[in-house]
Amino acid sequence: MKNKKPHLIYDDQGKAVSDRPWIFRTYAGHTNVWESNQLYRSNLAKGQTGLSIAFDLPTQCGYSSDHEIAKPEVGKVGVPVNSLDDFHVLFDQIPIDKMNVSMTINGTAMWLLALYIALAEERGIDISTLKGTTQNDLIKEYLARGTYIFPPEDSIRLIVDMYEYSLQHIPDWNASNICSYHLQEAGATPVQELAFALTTAITVLDAIKERGCFSAQEFERCVGRISFFVNAGMRFVEELSKMRAFVEMWDEITRDRYGIKDPKYRRFRYGVQVNSLGLTEEQPENNSWRILIETLGVTLSRKARCRALQLPAWNEALSLPRPWDQQWSLRLQQVLAYETDLLEYPDLFDGSHVIESKVKDLKEKAYAEISNIIDMGGGMAAVKNGYMKSALVKSQSERIDRLAKGQQIVVGKNKWLEGLPSPLVSGDDGGIFKIDVNSAQKTIESLKNSRRSRDAQRVAESLAVLTADAEQGNNLMPASIECAKARVTTGEWSATLRKVFGEYRPPTGVDGQAMEITTNRGGVQNKINRFVEQYGYRPRMVVGKPGLDGHSNGAEMIAVAARNAGFDVIYFGIRISAAEIVHSAIEENVDVIGISLLSGSHNEIVDQLSAELNKAHADIPVVLGGIIPQADIANLTAKGIKRIYTPKDYDLMMIMDDIMDVINEHKLSPCG
Amino acid sequence: MPVSACQTDLQQPISEHLLSLLEAAVSLEKWPIAKLISLFEANTEQGFIQRHQLMAYIQQQPKLASRRAYIVGVTGAPGVGKSSLIGELCLQLLKQQPGAAIAVLAIDPSSHNSGGALLGDRTRSLFPVGEKRLFFRSQSSALDLGGLSRKTFQVTRILQYLFDYIVIETVGVGQSEVEVAKLCDHSFFVMQPLAGDQLQFIKSGIMEMPDSFIINKCDEQQYAEQSLQQLEASLRTTRSLLKEGEESVIPPVFLSSSVTKQGFKDLADYITGLSVNEGNRNNTSNKENYFIAKWVRYLYGEYGYNIYINNVANKVDGSMSYEQKQLLFKQSIDNKNSLISVPNQ
Repeated sequence: MKNKKPHLIYDDQGKAVSDRPWIFRTYAGHTNVWESNQLYRSNLAKGQTGLSIAFDLPTQCGYSSDHEIAKPEVGKVGVPVNSLDDFHVLFDQIPIDKMNVSMTINGTAMWLLALYIALAEERGIDISTLKGTTQNDLIKEYLARGTYIFPPEDSIRLIVDMYEYSLQHIPDWNASNICSYHLQEAGATPVQELAFALTTAITVLDAIKERGCFSAQEFERCVGRISFFVNAGMRFVEELSKMRAFVEMWDEITRDRYGIKDPKYRRFRYGVQVNSLGLTEEQPENNSWRILIETLGVTLSRKARCRALQLPAWNEALSLPRPWDQQWSLRLQQVLAYETDLLEYPDLFDGSHVIESKVKDLKEKAYAEISNIIDMGGGMAAVKNGYMKSALVKSQSERIDRLAKGQQIVVGKNKWLEGLPSPLVSGDDGGIFKIDVNSAQKTIESLKNSRRSRDAQRVAESLAVLTADAEQGNNLMPASIECAKARVTTGEWSATLRKVFGEYRPPTGVDGQAMEITTNRGGVQNKINRFVEQYGYRPRMVVGKPGLDGHSNGAEMIAVAARNAGFDVIYFGIRISAAEIVHSAIEENVDVIGISLLSGSHNEIVDQLSAELNKAHADIPVVLGGIIPQADIANLTAKGIKRIYTPKDYDLMMIMDDIMDVINEHKLSPCG
Repeated sequence: MPVSACQTDLQQPISEHLLSLLEAAVSLEKWPIAKLISLFEANTEQGFIQRHQLMAYIQQQPKLASRRAYIVGVTGAPGVGKSSLIGELCLQLLKQQPGAAIAVLAIDPSSHNSGGALLGDRTRSLFPVGEKRLFFRSQSSALDLGGLSRKTFQVTRILQYLFDYIVIETVGVGQSEVEVAKLCDHSFFVMQPLAGDQLQFIKSGIMEMPDSFIINKCDEQQYAEQSLQQLEASLRTTRSLLKEGEESVIPPVFLSSSVTKQGFKDLADYITGLSVNEGNRNNTSNKENYFIAKWVRYLYGEYGYNIYINNVANKVDGSMSYEQKQLLFKQSIDNKNSLISVPNQ
């Protein structure tokens, strides 16, 4: 043991060793269970070491694929799962007893875990060997991602049910995964990420403690099961410091607030997907470098290195990635882990005064915000009163404002805009992934078959038990597993609990917004003032987010920006049907309808919207914003969409100015 | 744009287009109602003339638009659950009176900086799409003091002939209680259980204006009872201080919960009971006079108000439309000072 060198890593026997790499994952799933199964098997064959499953929006929001609201979304952003029959196909020939499986699932997390357990049992696998994670962080769903279903108290209850069940039956399962990932995507600053994520963890642990279902020793283990899912952006030194702050703060919180003695259970365990928010539609090849740099933030510091990593693809700002794009990102991880010497060294930053001071600064500010929220009544109170949501929308607007003013440089977006055409996007498919529009039919057929072949009596009985257990406050895992085996559908399980718990509508991020955007406001304000003078009222706009996609902060920023420009704005949250948007637009007699769409179902939703407007004989111009592939723009314009704004159009006041032109053109047309 | 219309403009016959809008609105078509509301909100010369034409036409053809809305005001601090409460109340009223039609007018504040507004829209989510008997409209407060906008009164002028009930939702900010009481036939103040700060409100004396109180979010019986006792005790003290010598009468207090759906039947019964008795309605002519005086004072201060009181108020009579009264004032102030231009609202 003598002569240990500080630049080497030693094992227990004193032998110099290298670290094992983190788990390589790719967030994947699309079209249907057959295609996704193929994709997983080919990814595993390429050297991927874990699965990260993306579910489609109907599955995430608790609707079966044949529900009216589900139709435009089936298989779009992930794989649709309707029943246990689908799971058998999805995991066909995949060794689930050896596989670490991460599921990005929240509102219906308990249901998907129940399906996974039922699958293992039907395959004759000992369920205690299952390893993986259900994301199941509802606070960030209320704040940023939008696939919540039930009210906060009931959601927390389901989470606690899952922790209780997992600890006893599937000890290596992470029942939930506290996410700061989506908070950063929604605009959070590093301090907000630290504070809001740790507040979420505290909220979950407090609820578990309150139930009192664990002995002190079990509670220690349960705290040890809390894992995190984090984001990393371009400011990689700050991100590295943020990760170190997370590690230290979690150690301190679990020790001081919960009295956890064993340091092993106080360890901050986390997976990462690096930032997609900063990826650009302009010169998309530059995103490859961005992804590499973001990766450094979560791998360089050994003390704060991630356990598992999934990388976005270079073309995510354009559309969903193709398998090749995902392979390219996987290769980045392999090059970093296996070609470089990174994994041979202990922590590179211990003793750095700069990092130490930066970490201290982040920690102080984050602790201050945590105590602010706890004084407010805790995480759930700060969801219900809209505090955290408004804080995120504000941060996001400030970021956009910095971009617009050129205070924050993004290469190819607001600086060095001229570039040669990219050969990456000039292939036959335009460098983007297209889902076969007919693939949903196969999913719906399979759903019909499951319904036909199942035992109706067993379905009715298992749902009755689910209702009774929900009403009586029993742990809902056993009833859900029995539902899974009875071939209950995703829609049925969710509808049953919706009946008992109700459906939640959280405050929107526009409540109480005091944000100011000043860039170029003069131009649009002049246009609005002239409008008010001429027509005797303020221009009115409905901002709508139709369909199941819940990433509402973009729409909310538009709503706030429009108010700041001088519009009267009607905004009413997410999961609104096209019919409801048109209905509101008519009653409010608005001058323009603004729609935000990110899930790739813009063609279907625009069709629904046009049909509703025609039905009502209402001639109201429609503008659209979101991730819209270039190839779809001509078609959408032909359908009557007046303007399409993509991530390229980040100056909100320019958008408002342009919308005023749309309104004025319409007023002068014969039907205006 | 100033009122430059004259009596001859007002005497022009109503256009075919306007008439067909009115007829469609009477049969509760959404788009025409929406357009008529905009017409009553618009600060334009054309709006001014058309408002007069519509009101005059309705007076001449009383059978065309035969509904006479009972106007209910709902105020209270942000977050007390006014929107959900109004949603449940409307559904309950319709359940009891399937033939009724209800309009909800929700007012949100405008930004002092830009003049724009974010209009909340939670109530609508409770209303089924395509339900003709329910109409929801948001309005910005503009920059008027008092929570209500000048447009609010204007819009009720037309809506009262199209609907059986109008529900007006505003944030309670002290002054708005006075305005709401003037505009509405009956006003409710909504509060949460055990809301100490609102009891302070009551003690500060603003609270003599509401006709009734609702303690909302009474999801738990125990808190509800406790709050009821506290509120009644406070009201007893306050009212006896206000009306010294008189026997203090405590206004009705209702308990409701959008979660357990309790209390809405009682509330709906109460409102229905009030609406059938003419004595429970504010006199339309008094209301118009109040709002025209407010308009004058807002725009011309005491100077204009004195002109109104001395030269106009004694000349107006019940047969004149609001616009005719405005015109009378305009002529009067023109005589005094030809440099002042008179806005349309």
